[in-house]
Amino acid sequence: MSTAAHRRFDLRGLVLPLVLLALAEAAMRIGNTESDTLARPSDVARALWEALRDGTVLVASAQTLGAALGGLALGGGLGLLAGLWFGLSTRAERWSLLSVELLRPVPSVALIPIAMLVYGFGFRMEIAVVAFTCFWPMLLLTQAALREVEPRLFEVVRVLGLGTAERVSKIVLPAAAPRVFVAFRLGVGIALVVAVTVEIAANPQGLGFGLMSAQQNLRPDLMFALLLWVGALGWALSAGLLLIERHLFRHTRAQGGNP
Amino acid sequence: MNVQPVTAAPLIVFDRVVLDFGPLRIINELSFTMKRGEFVCVIGPSGCGKTTLLRLLTGLVKPTGGEVRHNGSPVSGPAHDVAIVFQDYAKALLPWRTVAGNVSLALEAAKVPKAERADRIHALLAKVGLAAHAHKYPGQLSGGMQQRLQIARCLAQEPAVLLMDEPFGALDAMTRQTLQDEMLQLVAGSGTTVLFITHDLEEAIYLGDTVLALRAGPGERSSLAQRFDVHLPRPRDQLSTREEPEFLHLRRLAFEHVKDTH
Amino acid sequence: MKWPQILSPGAIAVTLALGTLWAGVCAMQWVSPVFLPSPGATWSALLAGIAKGELAQLTAGTVERMVYGWALASLAGIALGALIGTSAALRAWLAPTFELMRPLPASAIVPVAITFIGLSPAMVLIVITFGAVWPVLLATVHGFASIEPRLHEVGRVLRLSRAAFIFKIGLPNALPDALAGMRLSLTIALILAIVGEMLASQQGLGTSILQAARSFRAADLFAGVALLGLIGLVSNALLSMAEHRVLRWKQPR
Repeated sequence: MSTAAHRRFDLRGLVLPLVLLALAEAAMRIGNTESDTLARPSDVARALWEALRDGTVLVASAQTLGAALGGLALGGGLGLLAGLWFGLSTRAERWSLLSVELLRPVPSVALIPIAMLVYGFGFRMEIAVVAFTCFWPMLLLTQAALREVEPRLFEVVRVLGLGTAERVSKIVLPAAAPRVFVAFRLGVGIALVVAVTVEIAANPQGLGFGLMSAQQNLRPDLMFALLLWVGALGWALSAGLLLIERHLFRHTRAQGGNP
Repeated sequence: MNVQPVTAAPLIVFDRVVLDFGPLRIINELSFTMKRGEFVCVIGPSGCGKTTLLRLLTGLVKPTGGEVRHNGSPVSGPAHDVAIVFQDYAKALLPWRTVAGNVSLALEAAKVPKAERADRIHALLAKVGLAAHAHKYPGQLSGGMQQRLQIARCLAQEPAVLLMDEPFGALDAMTRQTLQDEMLQLVAGSGTTVLFITHDLEEAIYLGDTVLALRAGPGERSSLAQRFDVHLPRPRDQLSTREEPEFLHLRRLAFEHVKDTH
Repeated sequence: MKWPQILSPGAIAVTLALGTLWAGVCAMQWVSPVFLPSPGATWSALLAGIAKGELAQLTAGTVERMVYGWALASLAGIALGALIGTSAALRAWLAPTFELMRPLPASAIVPVAITFIGLSPAMVLIVITFGAVWPVLLATVHGFASIEPRLHEVGRVLRLSRAAFIFKIGLPNALPDALAGMRLSLTIALILAIVGEMLASQQGLGTSILQAARSFRAADLFAGVALLGLIGLVSNALLSMAEHRVLRWKQPR
């Protein structure tokens, strides 16, 4: 997104959603529809408010976020370590290439039945699927981050005669840190999406399950409320991490851009 | 009132042109004429609006005041026989089309029938010395070759007026000299009117029949600080022309003028 | 994918070692065969399924869904992307709405689609298309919006019509971005195809692996997952090759 959009907040962009909401509200009030499929925006808002008040949304959010972040920590953490290893050792990278390319394309959701088989339902199953999914982007992006470290810095290292441990901790890691943080930020997004998907497809907990339940119980107002909530949660996480990123790396030239 | 003889009617007239960019007055009370076949060079410090001149002539930008006339009538938009060569040639070429494809773009735009295109493309590429590279992509060419390609595409428009925005500024000295002479040759044969922007004073004198020196931040004065008529013989030659007393005289005038206005 | 590099002796050795490890773990019964079938058992299940003809059918079902949804999404994404990308006004109106939709998981559309359309093949196709359209759309908008301003001027000086500009300059310029978006869309299309199948009980690999899990048929399950991985691999490779061919002009000097 261009920086101009942040500097001068273009109010035109708000018009479309607000107009659509107003129209929907008006149309449904006038038509006095009682529907299993549609819900008035005001009803959606009310459903969201009540679900927040009685804690169900917060519990579900905690479940989803817990599984997402747990899976990210596990899979993303391993991916980060592997990425560092492969990034620093060209031999390791070359030897891993075939295995990575064979395992990576397995779609994350295809693992749901396997995780179900092993763990049944619950947190462990969801964390397992999220972990597998987050491993790969973290691995690849960390490798890329290391590759993009200014080669001139490595020459400096040689001239200064730094050992491997110092090379890694003083030069490589700080130089790669901004891009690694971008990878982490993207990983959070992926983790959230996968967690919700697992809940929609199989796991009876969290926001995804809430969505499916609302649909099955013919509560379109609650369903749309949760949909909005999930979107808002994803947006807030992403925006929050972006702020942290800008603050942490404000002195660095190379900053990760918005994908 | 100036009564111009009919035979020497000016092709292009800048009539007290004013251009504002928001609160900034970039160009003020700029008046000059260009005769058919004349080679006019424009020099000046950055911010004097020399690049904007070209956009005014193509109608990409409208003057805030005054008028720009081409063939007697005010410029309202790009004309089919006005071509513009940009300084950043890489950005003005289509990287996904071959050399031939890039030239073809101008012919397609002019609705030249497909059967005619191949021959005309070949002739144009031969004129700029790129015939052997017709199937290469711009990314595979050197800077000088890319600029030649852009010139070829502009020539495909069969322009009566050729506008050039510091076309050789990004090239090394040797390539620049070669292209300068190629330019003169191309233009001499066709009688094209040329408006050539440059920051290189010697280049302006070497190439032009007339040199216009603009000033930046005109304020109340006209943007046109000075006009030099170049009475050097044609064809020009890199060595002998640059040693002519007239050349050295103009060079001194130009340098002193620049020193004063900086 | 860089072919010669991938098949280096070291890489092959590592892959074989992992396979041997897998077989070894199963032979030693460190993990119950209920959860982890041996490579041999998986292979047999795969062959048996192919022989019976049902694996081919299931694969075809999933692949069809994925491809149809992806193709529709790509067409719509590029067409809309061209429209929106070339109009600064449209972009201003729509940008915030798009930004809000971006973090939404595509699968979250499923319950909404079920509400309106019910559990049916059409629902799955619509979910796939809707989910897969966003990467292509956003990438194409970016591709058109980031056209070099100089090229806009060239278009105006040559007096190209708006349509001519879009087809001769806009589209080729946006193609690299659009293709990258299409690759992402393909991944999403496969995922949504599987999720859709699982929920709507459509005939396909997604449903079959779910059933295999429920019946504790681990070998069939792993065989199905391997096939899905293969679909992902092949479709991505094909698209990469096409992308490479189309973007030949990006080769350095």
